[in-house]
Amino acid sequence: MEEFPLNAVQRWMQSVIVHSQGVPAGLVAEDTHQHLDVPNLEQLIPCSPSQSSVERLAVYANAYYARLIECLQSEFPVFSQTVGEEAFAEFAADYVQRYPSRSYSLGDLGTNFPRYLAETKPIADGQGPYPDWAEFLVELANLERTFSEVFDGPGLENKPALGVVDLQATDLQKWPQARIKFAPCFRLLSLQFPLNGFYSSVKEGKKADFPPPSDSWFAVTRRDFIVRRYGLNRPQFMLLSSLLEGRTVEEAIGAAAESYAAEPDALARDLHAWFRAWAAAPFFQSVEFDD
Amino acid sequence: MTRSRLGYPNLGLGVGLRNVHFNHILQEQPAVDWFEVISENFIDSAGRPRYVLEQIAERYPVVMHGVSLSIGSTDPLDFDYLAKLKRLAHEVNARWISDHLCWTGVLGVNAHDLLPLPLNEESLNHVVRRVRTVQDFLERPLVLENPSSYVTFAHSTMPEWEFMARMADETDCGLLLDVNNVYVSSVNHGFDPFEYVQNLPHERIVQMHLAGHTDCGTHLIDTHDGQVVDPVWRLYRLAHERTGGVSSLLEWDAKIPPFPVVHAEVLKARAFMSHELNPPPENSRQATPRDARVPSDRAHPHPATLVLAQVE
Repeated sequence: MEEFPLNAVQRWMQSVIVHSQGVPAGLVAEDTHQHLDVPNLEQLIPCSPSQSSVERLAVYANAYYARLIECLQSEFPVFSQTVGEEAFAEFAADYVQRYPSRSYSLGDLGTNFPRYLAETKPIADGQGPYPDWAEFLVELANLERTFSEVFDGPGLENKPALGVVDLQATDLQKWPQARIKFAPCFRLLSLQFPLNGFYSSVKEGKKADFPPPSDSWFAVTRRDFIVRRYGLNRPQFMLLSSLLEGRTVEEAIGAAAESYAAEPDALARDLHAWFRAWAAAPFFQSVEFDD
Repeated sequence: MTRSRLGYPNLGLGVGLRNVHFNHILQEQPAVDWFEVISENFIDSAGRPRYVLEQIAERYPVVMHGVSLSIGSTDPLDFDYLAKLKRLAHEVNARWISDHLCWTGVLGVNAHDLLPLPLNEESLNHVVRRVRTVQDFLERPLVLENPSSYVTFAHSTMPEWEFMARMADETDCGLLLDVNNVYVSSVNHGFDPFEYVQNLPHERIVQMHLAGHTDCGTHLIDTHDGQVVDPVWRLYRLAHERTGGVSSLLEWDAKIPPFPVVHAEVLKARAFMSHELNPPPENSRQATPRDARVPSDRAHPHPATLVLAQVE
């Protein structure tokens, strides 16, 4: 029987190098001992002429957190600048402990970061500080993750989109009963904070104060492989979210009208302009009619 | 008798494709012999990375180099991942698929590091079984690279070159000889890098890697963040003589300079192949001035390659 079986050595080493308190703590952790009992470290990992066994293992331990924090910092640059590098590293290190990577791709590393922030943020009980800046950070992380998914996910660059000309060619009689199929890269966001401007300012390197809470809505999509953002007002959001849920154009316009403050005639004019702009974006892939 | 390079072509001098160079390559179409891409950055991409890869694959030979196969792990092989590798290789006409002799995690976790194996019979049998399975699935030989390492195991029973040679012999896989990794590990573990290169079965070497590393004083780290040092060029020259010439590629993954700088670095190989440049005498570690050494906690081994979103 091998004294140090391969599967036990691998579980032991992983347990040591991912330990949040470093190699010395990892070596004495209960999890580590469950995998392999190593009373004398040098019997498994010899020292080198210039490094102790612990120092050698620490190369891997340091790299584990540094690499993953660096990747997260790259994916959430505005979030990182907003909280500061040091605080971001703490968030990120805690995150990878709770949600270690289970994917072959570093592109998936940040998938659960917004969820992690939501799960660990202080509970808003109405007694805490107002505004809820923790929620602001959750929304910011969610925004940046959305950008990553839209950037590398499926789009319409090599497929037909529903453009302005297609829209104009649609049979007006059938239009109220039409349902819209959205581009696969289309995302709709409803936020408690006006993040669009904040994001732009920080990204451009400008100083940006935390914006006071204010409902905001915007659409994210991709054209020519670049992610694009479009600010929306509430009726526009209601219209698009209804269409996204699969409702007919007529039903979606009804939902938008409920939150539209101006005259109905003005809504009709606006709708025309909105659909033209959205088709040009493009938000839509095709239009479908019930038989 | 094994054919040289397993019959694969010598593609010349290539460069590792990195996202900061996408625009330059598409616009300038530099005279590079071939590109190596990080497989994991493209196998799921339906956005710009995949578009760029398709454009490049139309103009240049492409090789796929992975960092998450985890051939040495005791976790089960990920056949969904392998299916994606196979599909992408077909779609971009990848000349071959390579990865590392390492494990990247267990218990479902990916540490995204190239972790070392104990070099003994148990590991060899384990790796040989998995290489055969992967090759059967991919329907092509796998090409495996020697990693840089920072620990050794007391229960290892053979040098890494012997492990690589026996693995290749038993599986008919190819070898990717990273001469920088040989040098980094030789300094960290105190073995002779020239003996390592001399003992590898040269006919199985399909490709070579060149890269820079960081001197931390007590050890070297494979950071891929600078120029190739003279001792590594010397190993490259020896390997070139042994193999008769194989596809060679420069990796530059951190502090990445403009593309022409990276390209110029790999083109230095021509001079070393023809003996026009003579690095210092053998068996000398390249001395790094004390004040140029980097603290260990500020240098991290590759890989950490990520394609970032472009947002207007």
